[in-house]
This record gives sequence, structure tokens and C-alpha cells, in this order.
Amino acid sequence: MVRFGNKDLAKYPFLKEAFSYITKYDFKLEDLDSKDYLHLIDKAAEKIENYLFFGRFEYQINYSKTHETIVQEEVIIFLISLLLIKSISIDVVTKKFALMESMRFEKYLISDLNTADRDDKTIKLILYKIFEDLFSTKILLEVDVYNFYKIRINDYLDHPIAFQEKEWNLINRTLHNGFVYLDGSEIVRLFRNELYLLIIDRIKKMSITRIPDTIMAISKSIKSRWEQIHHSINAPVSNAVTPPCIQHIYDQISKGENLPHPARLLLGTFLIYSNKTLEEMLELFKRLPDFDEKITRYQLEHLAGKRGNSKRYFVPSCEKIKLENLCYETRICQGISNPTQLIRKKSGI
Amino acid sequence: MSDTLSFDSNNSGKNGKHGSKYQNAEPDDKNKNWLEGIFRKYYFYHYSQLELGELINEHEFGFRLFDGKIRRHLAFNDKKELYAYIIKFSPSDIFYSSSRYQSPTAEIDQKGWIGSDLIFDIDGKDLHLECAQSHNLVLCKDCSFISKGIISKCVGCNSTRLQIIDIPCARCIKSLNVEVKKLVEILDDDFGIDSECIFVYFSGNNGYHVHVVDKNFYNASAKKRNAFAQYLMGKGYLIESLGIRRNNEGVLIPMSNKILYNQGWRRRIFDSIHLPIQNHKIDDKFVKKYNRMQDANNNNIQDIINTHILDLSAKIDPNVTMDIHRIFRLSGSINSKSGLIKAFCKDLDSFNPFVDACFIGDSNVEIESKLNIKISLKGKQFSIKPGKNTLPEYVAAYMICKGIGDIQNQT
Repeated sequence: MVRFGNKDLAKYPFLKEAFSYITKYDFKLEDLDSKDYLHLIDKAAEKIENYLFFGRFEYQINYSKTHETIVQEEVIIFLISLLLIKSISIDVVTKKFALMESMRFEKYLISDLNTADRDDKTIKLILYKIFEDLFSTKILLEVDVYNFYKIRINDYLDHPIAFQEKEWNLINRTLHNGFVYLDGSEIVRLFRNELYLLIIDRIKKMSITRIPDTIMAISKSIKSRWEQIHHSINAPVSNAVTPPCIQHIYDQISKGENLPHPARLLLGTFLIYSNKTLEEMLELFKRLPDFDEKITRYQLEHLAGKRGNSKRYFVPSCEKIKLENLCYETRICQGISNPTQLIRKKSGI
Repeated sequence: MSDTLSFDSNNSGKNGKHGSKYQNAEPDDKNKNWLEGIFRKYYFYHYSQLELGELINEHEFGFRLFDGKIRRHLAFNDKKELYAYIIKFSPSDIFYSSSRYQSPTAEIDQKGWIGSDLIFDIDGKDLHLECAQSHNLVLCKDCSFISKGIISKCVGCNSTRLQIIDIPCARCIKSLNVEVKKLVEILDDDFGIDSECIFVYFSGNNGYHVHVVDKNFYNASAKKRNAFAQYLMGKGYLIESLGIRRNNEGVLIPMSNKILYNQGWRRRIFDSIHLPIQNHKIDDKFVKKYNRMQDANNNNIQDIINTHILDLSAKIDPNVTMDIHRIFRLSGSINSKSGLIKAFCKDLDSFNPFVDACFIGDSNVEIESKLNIKISLKGKQFSIKPGKNTLPEYVAAYMICKGIGDIQNQT
């Protein structure tokens, strides 16, 4: 069995080995009512607020304590975070939290995989264990070729991302001798989706008879702040038919789903074509779990031809939309080759 | 393609795609009766040619009979039961599932799929060979007139209801061999499949079936098999996977200092366009060579790469690979489109389908040829004139199966 160093476990509080650090001291959820845990509750709340309202995951592990305390605290903060999200009980919030949290863990993994010394067997064994235990995937290291990682072709294709994004399709991966080769950051990105699903699963499976009062109070406050900012989503195209592909994107946003790049491009170009202002568009994109205002603003301006080479991007054709698996054709789409034709049809342009 | 049957093939035989040319034949149709007898004789004397693995009772069998009917979802406890069925019904075609099932006779969704070998189909028709234009025939479905070459309208009645009759030549087989070798090489290099696990079969007419028996891929889902097929065909390859991206001006530039494991499609493409990468790094030397190439080709690198991918890819039928419920022609059985058998090719270079897959007897029979044609079988060349000809049974069977001759009387 691999022996984890305490410091490593602090970064991966979802592992059962990390969890054992609090169970061995007979930790109970009721303990969270005690003042001794207030600083941890505050840290969890701050992290969630940063995730939900600012799209930031600038979280710092406090390494100034003993290793044992660091792990215990990080596991408890993780637990408190799950409890807070569970009691907020808004699907979009759960998804946004899961995405941000998985991105945080992903950052640790990338850093560990890339900086791990070739001879430092322990860190690699830990990472292999994380992948094997949580995602049932065996990863191997090709030490002779720039520390590339490799996984069996069949195992690789068990990960949904291999079918969702073109660059992750088997054809765009390097295959050799029955293995798919990936560098450190790629192998972790492959698992992002799984980490995300794992966190959602943990939240859904939590069955708690009583949520501590302090946690309940904070969750109520976060919930009400969230509800004030986010109203129900309305299709921003007035006096026109909403093309089914665009409606599907609105539905996904309403459910808190993250959008793949081609869907963002379709939505952006469509909104620009519909003469929406930048602020109106940002209001919609803000609902995406990984929303970053600076990046989104730049990208929308780029699509509108206000940046870079001043080329304005037009709404992709139905054919292209079909190729990207974004088409949800209905009868109203008969005879059109671009979703914008539905707007013209209705408004009589 | 009809060297296999997909799960939606029905039992009635009314499906035109899979229908037999004998489906409307009268009971006393001479061609049908003669072929039925010839096939029965083959199975009686050469049953050992039929290649059946272990656990025969876990496979689904299907048969096309000479009346055009298709019988699927059949299973046999052992080889003896199967032989008895074949001798009794003398089917025109015999199919066998690559998949193993808990209940092979049940409906598709009730069968309980256990696993399946990976199967790849390479069909001569998909290669669009130039020589096919000169030796293939076209049958008019309205007036039954047979023309040489590829035409779009019947010369006799102007009908457009035409059917191509494949008459593959040695050059066609050579081109098919090239495709098989490309496929085997990718399977070996990229998928790590040992050549001992790859079995190549001549389909019995104008193609090859490549069977991969490897436990690593036995349980792969249809979705995964489709990903394998897309990979082998080079479909959807992004230029960024080579370590080349488009800059703001739309020009393709190498991503300098990017470390890429130089294997798989990347190595294949770079080797093919003579741009080898040293130490897996896109270095200055590579960038210089690349830029020279870019200039010499008017920035048309994308087209060049696409052409190379087309050359390097395996021309397989993806639908066959991904369909885990398909039944395939049984190795050693006769293909009713040619009278030749589906045969295992131990050595592709020395395998000659017109000799090694020809097992019908050589007693002489009289046949009425519908046209002037040269046929080479069992190492002999036959110059056939329109009208009556006396020919060995194996040539007669080939002509009747192709629909270019009618049996007269045995001499």
C-alpha cells in the first residue's frame, strides 16, 4: 500500500486516506456548532463566495501548522463546503461549485505531475493511486520519453471527454503500442470531468439529519444573494423565433451546465447578430459555471470584430452546427441553412 | 455490403439490398437448381474448410437460401448439427456472428452480448480503382442487357436502374492487398496488436475481412469500435495535433519547442511529407524546413497533409467495424456472388484468390454465355465467347453467380 505524506493529502481531501485523519479522532458533524471550528467555516464560506460570485478559485492551504492539523483542517473545510452547497440546494450552484472545486484540484495535480522528480516515486505512486481508486484508470509513466504518461486505449475511451471534444477524440491523440500518450496537464484534464462528477455525486449522496445552525445561517445568506443576482433566464431574442439549437443552449445554461467551446461560439455570434449589447450578452454568459468576465468580454468583442484583425464572425451554418453536434432540429428548421434565417422569417426582414 | 448482414436484415428476403437473384426464380430454374447442387456437393466433400472456433453454441448463425429468404438468429449445439443443416438446405450464403451471446437465438436486445472480435472490412468497390472502369460490367435491371465498363444509362433501353457486376482483376487484388497492409501496420504500431492476433481473409468476391482476436478489445462497445474506425480512416484529424497552429493572419505555423511524442498519425504524416522530428521536439531545424515547404507550396500545407492522410489511411467500412451484432460470411463457405470461398490468407503476398479460393469441381458442363469475356481461375485462362461453351464447373459457377451465363446441360 502507498503511504501518503500528510502534506500531499491536504491537497486531496476527497481521498479516503485523508478522511481517515478526522474519523480517527471521532469527529462528528455536531462538533461544527462549536466555536473552535468557526475559522474553518468562514474559510469554506469565503471559498464558496469566491467561486459563485467572482468566478475565482484563489484558495490557499495554510501550511504554517503541523502536517496532521493541515490535513484535518482541509478535510473539514471540504466537508463544510459540501454541507453548505447541499443546504443551498440549487442545482446550478452545485454544478458551479463542483466545477470550480475540480479545477482547483486539477491545478494541484498538474503541478504535482509536472514538477515530480523522475526519482520521486512517492508522489507518482500517490497520483497513480488517485487515478486508480477514484477513476478506475491505470496510468503508467514512459520514463524514456520526456516523462509522458500513457493509458490503455480502452481505458482512455471510458472517459466521456474522448467523445465530446475533437482534440480529445482518439484520432487526435498520440497512440503507440496500445497506449494513448498524454503529458502531465493533459492527463489531468482528462480527469477533470470525472472529478467534477465525483464532487456532485458526493453532495447528492450526503444524507444529513441536521445541518449545524452556523452552517445553515451562512447557506441561507449565500442562497439569497445568489437568487437576487440570478433571475430566471429569458430568451433574449424578442419578436422572433428562437432557433432550437439556441434554445437548447439557453436550457443548458439554465441547468447550470458548462458549455463546450463551439456552443459558446454559436451563442456569441447569434447574440451579436441579434444586436444584443455587450452587457446583455455578459449577463447571459455570467451564468456559466466557469464564467470569467475579462475573458468573455474579450472573446465577445473579438467575435464582433472589435478586436484583433477586425473580422466579424458570422453565425455558423446549420451544416457546421450539425457537425459540432449542436443541432436540435425541429419542423420550423425546414428549408433553412443558418439559424439566423428563422429570425428573418419571423420578423420579415 | 452483402458479405455481412447487419442486425436489421429481415427474415423475409424481400429486402432488395440483401435479396438473391433467385428470389423470384421458378422452382425449376436451371441455374438455381444447378448451383444448389454444386454448393451442396462442395459442403459434402469440403466441410473441413469451414472454420469454426470453440463455443460454436454461443454464436448466432444466419443463412441466405437460394429462394432469397434469409434465416437469422439460429444457433447450433455442435458442428454436426450445423453440417446437417447446411447439407439439408444447401444455402447460397452462410453467416456467423463474430460476437458471442448468452442466448444467440433471442432477439437482438435479448441476446446477452458477451464480446466480439474486432472486424474490419475492405471492399474493392470503395477503392474506386481505375481498372474497374474497364473490366466491370453493368446489368440493366429492366431489360437485362449487360454492358462493359461503367455507364449511367442502359445502352439497350436507356434505363437508369443499373447494377454493377464486379469482375475483379489481379490489379484490384493488388490494390486491396496494399490497403490490408496499411490497416495491419496501424493496428500493430498504434494499437499494439500482435500480428499473430490478426487474421486476414479473402471475402470470396472483391474484398478482405480482417479479424482481430485480442482480449484487450474483445469487450469494446460499438462506440469505442467507431472511434477505432475513425482513427484508422484518419477522419477528423486536426492539424493542431501535429503541433501546427494557425496564427492571426491565418497562416499555419509550427508551435516551437512543443514536445510531442512522435508516434501514431503524427509520425506517419511527418515521415510521409519528409519532415521528420528529432527528439520529439519542434526545433529550429524543423521550423526552417517547414517554412521552406510552406513557401514552395503557397501556404497550402493543409491540403498537402489532407492528401497524405488520405493515402496513409485504411479504407475500411466503419459501419462493419462498429456493428457488434453483424453476422459475417463464414470462413470456408461459398460466396454466392462469385462461387469462390471466403478463404484465410496465411501469406497475403503469395495468396491468389483466383486459385486459392476456388474449390468447385472441374467436371465439364455446357454454359450459355451472355457476352465475350476472359476469365482466369485455378491458374488457367478461359476465353469465353457469347453462346454455348463447354467449361469446367468452377468457371460455370463463377459465370452463373455473376449473372453472365446460364447453365445448359452437363456433358
